[in-house]
Amino acid sequence: MGEFFRLNLPYLLGGISVGGQYALIAIGYTMVYGILRLINFAHGDIFTVAGFVMVYLSATMPLTVSLPLTVLITVVLGYLVERAAYRPLRDAPRMSIMISAIGVSYLLQNLMWYVTGGLAKQYPTIPFISGSVTIFSATTKMVTVITPFLTLALVVLLVRLIGGTKIGMAMRAVSKDFETARLMGIKIDRVISVTFVIGSFLAAVGSILYFTNYTAVTPTVGAMPGLKAFVAAVFGGIGSIPGAVIGAFIIGIAENIIKAVGLTTFSDAFTFALLIIVLVFRPTGLFGEAVNDKV
Amino acid sequence: MKIRKTTLIIGLLLLAAAVALSAYTLGAQGSLEELLFRMDTQGAAETDAKMKKARDRVLEALAEGDSAKAFRSLDRYLEGFGDRLDLSGSSGAELFVYKNASSLTALGVLLLISGLALTLASFSRFSKYRATLAYLVLIAALFCGVYVLENLLGSDTMLLTTLKKGAIYALIAVSMNLLNGFTGLFSLGQAGFMLVGAYTYAIFTIPAESRAQVYQYYDGGLIGFSLPVIPALLLAGLAAAFFAFLIGLPVLRLKSDYLAIATLGFAEIIRAVFQYDGLGPLTNGSNLLRRFPTFSSALFPFTVAGVCILLISLLINSTYGRSFKAIRDDEVAAEAMGINLFRHKQMSFVISSFFAGVGGALLAMYQTTVQASAFKASMTYEILLIVVIGGMGSVTGSVLTSFLFIAASEWWLRFLDNEQVIGGVTLPFMRSGFRMVVFSVVIMVMVLFYRRGIMGDKEFDLKALFAPRVRKGGKDRG
Repeated sequence: MGEFFRLNLPYLLGGISVGGQYALIAIGYTMVYGILRLINFAHGDIFTVAGFVMVYLSATMPLTVSLPLTVLITVVLGYLVERAAYRPLRDAPRMSIMISAIGVSYLLQNLMWYVTGGLAKQYPTIPFISGSVTIFSATTKMVTVITPFLTLALVVLLVRLIGGTKIGMAMRAVSKDFETARLMGIKIDRVISVTFVIGSFLAAVGSILYFTNYTAVTPTVGAMPGLKAFVAAVFGGIGSIPGAVIGAFIIGIAENIIKAVGLTTFSDAFTFALLIIVLVFRPTGLFGEAVNDKV
Repeated sequence: MKIRKTTLIIGLLLLAAAVALSAYTLGAQGSLEELLFRMDTQGAAETDAKMKKARDRVLEALAEGDSAKAFRSLDRYLEGFGDRLDLSGSSGAELFVYKNASSLTALGVLLLISGLALTLASFSRFSKYRATLAYLVLIAALFCGVYVLENLLGSDTMLLTTLKKGAIYALIAVSMNLLNGFTGLFSLGQAGFMLVGAYTYAIFTIPAESRAQVYQYYDGGLIGFSLPVIPALLLAGLAAAFFAFLIGLPVLRLKSDYLAIATLGFAEIIRAVFQYDGLGPLTNGSNLLRRFPTFSSALFPFTVAGVCILLISLLINSTYGRSFKAIRDDEVAAEAMGINLFRHKQMSFVISSFFAGVGGALLAMYQTTVQASAFKASMTYEILLIVVIGGMGSVTGSVLTSFLFIAASEWWLRFLDNEQVIGGVTLPFMRSGFRMVVFSVVIMVMVLFYRRGIMGDKEFDLKALFAPRVRKGGKDRG
């Protein structure tokens, strides 16, 4: 039993940790989808930009400055993307906004490639969370232990924000019925901006945790975690924050178990197979609400 | 029977020109050996041993019947000793005919086709075929134009490379447009189906004697035979269509956004599976596939893509095509009108994937090697952006934009990747990667401000030229 634990605990811990990081990205997807019915294809790239901003800032500044500044810049970027690429298309068909999102993703990837020259950058070491720790005779990075707790704390905060504040109430109203909320005098542009700000903030935190674990940052590195986080959001029921978090943890753990069994090639494929299975048998996900077509 | 006189006269003139051109070309094509001696009016070759040797090389190649070699040595001969030869008058003209025989033949064919078309169109009995005849001339002009350019410039110049890749992308973009623009299914799996097509083509056409080298880590691979090119292209399409059929069974019942993610996910799975070591004897794992037959002339992708695009256009204008458009415009209404949603979506998905597979095979031929890791989601995004910029629901828009897109990204904007000096100042921001940034900004501007694309859902249509003119503001004779 002890032997089994020693061999498999790192995978389980890794799974919980990466699950937490996916959860932080997935919340951005699920909130935006809940309000705009838009798959924000650029979200994974915003996550990657946060990684690069940290790499460049930490080269010249102490961590106490560069960490908050990274989060701030990411938030501003998320706001700007919404302002420049999604707001002008507010009344356009949904497909147009989705295409605009793909365009932003393409632009951000090319921009990152241009700035970095296409080379992988080494993520800086953050003293406390990069340190090693031993749990039940399994050695792992401190970040692995911190991630799930930090994620849960942030989620609790977010749920309270949405459930108990005025802007949170506005968000719920807008996601229920966009047009009626607008008629009731809710400033939907403001609500949507706040949604993108929160999503980008969580993506920035997720990026710091993720790249402390996987230290190479390349322009396309965010695509996979981004897609997986989206799958997690669908799995949990798109639009539902607790659903996204639980979905992300399940996917993170399952992926690491598959790696432990030795089928690393199929760990990505598994995520999408899971997505297709969920969509076929329970299209609304674990916690989603069914929406019927109105004629 | 009415006859349009001017049209008839122009048609007959073109026919006469075709006859004159061919007569002149045939007349001028005496024997090259004889011409070689006739050009040398001063007899310089008899005194200059080097020159004589160069000329003998041409004669040798001619005797062997190796025309490519003969042309090469002729070029060298003229380059080195042209100043001592008499290239004026008839021998110069003959030489021109020799060197451009293929281009002149193409020109003759074009004149012949357009002359025939105009002559036919001048008779009122054929007036309803005027648009078809016009298309025929347009297509002939296109092919002859590409052929002449290739002969004049050489097939590996930037222009021809752009044309080749553009034709392949045109096919893939039109196949995606069938799905996204005409059926309203937001699918992002195109790169996956292209990968299936490219691999199927490569796997089945690598010559048996090269397999040991290509599959060096897998004992020469699993398959010991190889197919000719055209059956292999068909097989590539069929394999992609088969995968589309399987994946479509669960996925096509989903709503649009989920369909996008599920197909994107499918493309990622395919990419991972094809690189899986366990499938190595078939797919060569994560190593390159190479040494399969490729094409050198741009006419090959033009022909294959042209035929495929024609088939897709015919489908779009059939009853099935009208059902697709009905589904796109309103699913619920289409179902109420008795259209079987799933059957039609499946049909569109499978056919689109078939052509994506053929396109992938052509892309493999263009690249001469193929590797699964290249077929990323960004490839699908590029094709989607082509479709959007060309106009969702416009075949001609997709074709036009494919050429513009490839030309801009591979050719016209190349200079942005290199340092430029303007007025003695080196621009510091011009370096590798800047091209793609500018390019994607242009695309974003298009997506945001010209949402309907270049063509909207209209087609470039020659029929409009021949439609009876409607008079505006005329008096009502009622």
